[in-house]
Amino acid sequence: MTDFQVPVWGYWVMGAGLAAFLTLVGMYVKKNRGFKRPLFASPYVLWLALFTVIPCLLVAYFSFTDPAGNFTLDNFKNFWDSNYNARKAIDPKELESYLAMGLSLEDLGLARNAINIDTLVFSLWMAFLCTAICLLLGYPAAHIMADREFKLGPTLVILFIVPMWMNFLLRTIAMMSLLEDNGLINNVLEMMGVGRQKLLNNLAAVQLGMVYNFLPFMVFPIYNVLNKMDYKLSEAAMDLGCDKWHTFYKVTLPLSVPGVVSGITMVFMPAVTTFYISRLLGGGKVQLFGDLIEAKFLSTSLNEWNVGSALSLIMMILILASLGLLRKADPEGEGGGIV
Amino acid sequence: MEDKRLITLEDISKAYDGVTVLNHINLYIRQKEFVTLLGPSGCGKTTTLRIIGGFERADSGRVIFDGQDISEIPPYRRRVNTVFQKYALFPHLNVKDNIAFGLKIKKMSAAEIQKKVDYMLDLVNLSGFGKRSVESLSGGQQQRIAIARALVNEPEVLLLDEPLGALDLKLRKEMQLELKSMQQRLGITFLYVTHDQEEALTMSDTIVVMQGGNILQIGTPKSIYDEPSNAFVANFIGESNIFSGTMVRDEMVHFCGADFPCVDSGFGEDKPVDVVIRPEDVLLVGEDVGQVTGVIKSVLFKGVHYEMMIDAGHSIWKVHSTTMQPEGSRVGLSVVPFNIHIMHPMQEENKQPQEEDAQ
Repeated sequence: MTDFQVPVWGYWVMGAGLAAFLTLVGMYVKKNRGFKRPLFASPYVLWLALFTVIPCLLVAYFSFTDPAGNFTLDNFKNFWDSNYNARKAIDPKELESYLAMGLSLEDLGLARNAINIDTLVFSLWMAFLCTAICLLLGYPAAHIMADREFKLGPTLVILFIVPMWMNFLLRTIAMMSLLEDNGLINNVLEMMGVGRQKLLNNLAAVQLGMVYNFLPFMVFPIYNVLNKMDYKLSEAAMDLGCDKWHTFYKVTLPLSVPGVVSGITMVFMPAVTTFYISRLLGGGKVQLFGDLIEAKFLSTSLNEWNVGSALSLIMMILILASLGLLRKADPEGEGGGIV
Repeated sequence: MEDKRLITLEDISKAYDGVTVLNHINLYIRQKEFVTLLGPSGCGKTTTLRIIGGFERADSGRVIFDGQDISEIPPYRRRVNTVFQKYALFPHLNVKDNIAFGLKIKKMSAAEIQKKVDYMLDLVNLSGFGKRSVESLSGGQQQRIAIARALVNEPEVLLLDEPLGALDLKLRKEMQLELKSMQQRLGITFLYVTHDQEEALTMSDTIVVMQGGNILQIGTPKSIYDEPSNAFVANFIGESNIFSGTMVRDEMVHFCGADFPCVDSGFGEDKPVDVVIRPEDVLLVGEDVGQVTGVIKSVLFKGVHYEMMIDAGHSIWKVHSTTMQPEGSRVGLSVVPFNIHIMHPMQEENKQPQEEDAQ
């Protein structure tokens, strides 16, 4: 159960964010139309089939069947109402008798439960926040690192890459020990006389963990684009009367859009499927869609695998859609690559 | 060309990581003059241009523009515009928006911008290309757009950094003439950087020959060609035979084992000198009347003339002639005194030469 709700303004902000993203994509779709990549031009088709296509088909199979293997859409109905299967499982006569006794569906624990869809919306919100924060932090960082005059730039790039060689779980556990009541940060805070704070097991801690883990995925695509950009273009802008700000606004920023779109997609995708970070840093109080799917597959109940598969499929469609957008905005993969 | 000195470089020095790129450069550029900085790569010509454009700061010295020290002024407040080496057109803007870029920054009205852009497109022979994407243009067209983008701002000086380097030979020659006529029509000062001596000779009013961060010679194309100040300039501008010799006395020089009458004087007696003779100035005469004699080693047909390499014992002469002599034949070589050019030997190359009057 999640204790947190998306604020009403959050929907508006998310909507505006999506609109802005689609506009960015739209700007570049027109220009790059007609670009085709030879998708299956490699002998790795077999590998893809064994480890990508077949598992995907399995997920699809599970999500459209019940435990007995019969075709059903119930798993998707369960996405809308997580008590759907439970309500269906109960003998109608028995249910009627309970209702006649004056018990309501709520009392029986069978009323519509929107936890799945609420969690998805909440995950989208968290992922949106994470993407926005990563963009605000990552763009300036990438810009500084790509600055020709800044000699430490390449060193900073390495410093960004090295932590990524470590397992993200390890990094998250390390963050946990930093934030805990007797952790390093709290010790420092106490020494400074600020006093110990509750840093762990809240929404901010989860968000911090997500931003920390996904920030490089924002920084590198933008860095790549900025680094490859011809510095003569900035000089040309200055030559034509632009000061530093106008040069950035009129030339650097529009030309870095493919990197920004890549970065947004590369952060948003893992952020929206995040699990475990929320459990470790949220102390069980914050549940994201990824956690929900995980719980379904770890559950011993009979049909939970099928429901979990349906949830995964929904997630996958979301990701495929954003990948499609990415490919349209950045067909040459300019932003991709360094990691 | 007017006598007013528009740009003056005073004692400009620049070093990158301890390596000297410009070594106390002094130079002035007159209003409406077409000045070319000519030299091999690494001679400091592009750095000089970038210092005037404001993209680099000199370690020492001053840049004076129209009587005002602009050394500390950022590029966007200088009254110069640049045509970059590989054009540096903005790929996210179409042709019209590229040209209009500088005008929009100046917040000019849309109607005025349209008028000026149309005029520029017409000037560079690309009317009707306004809506095209710059990436769809050929190299020559992109080149014209880059020139239009700079000129539309009506700069007092146009800086051109090897603008024709990426074009093929035929197009380059066309653009040379076009640039020159544009410069004369618009009456704008051009400062042009190139390593192509022919380009420099074709277009310039004044050529500045640079090497290793020093200015070797400043002069008109003709004076640079006819009176190179040392062997490097002679070699770099056109083809030449360069011999080391001795000045016997005024108007008499000894090289290749013979005494040659010449028109130079003032070098002192028995002093070492470098002698330059252009291949087209060597006359092939009868063996008995030549000042030196030699054997023809090779003959190459070059279109307008034959190029012959002649072994005269201790020296090899390169000779251009419209009449061919067969390989292996013995010939006499003769040079009229006027065509023998005497220079101080190359040891003095690091000395800053006196700025001679360009006219």
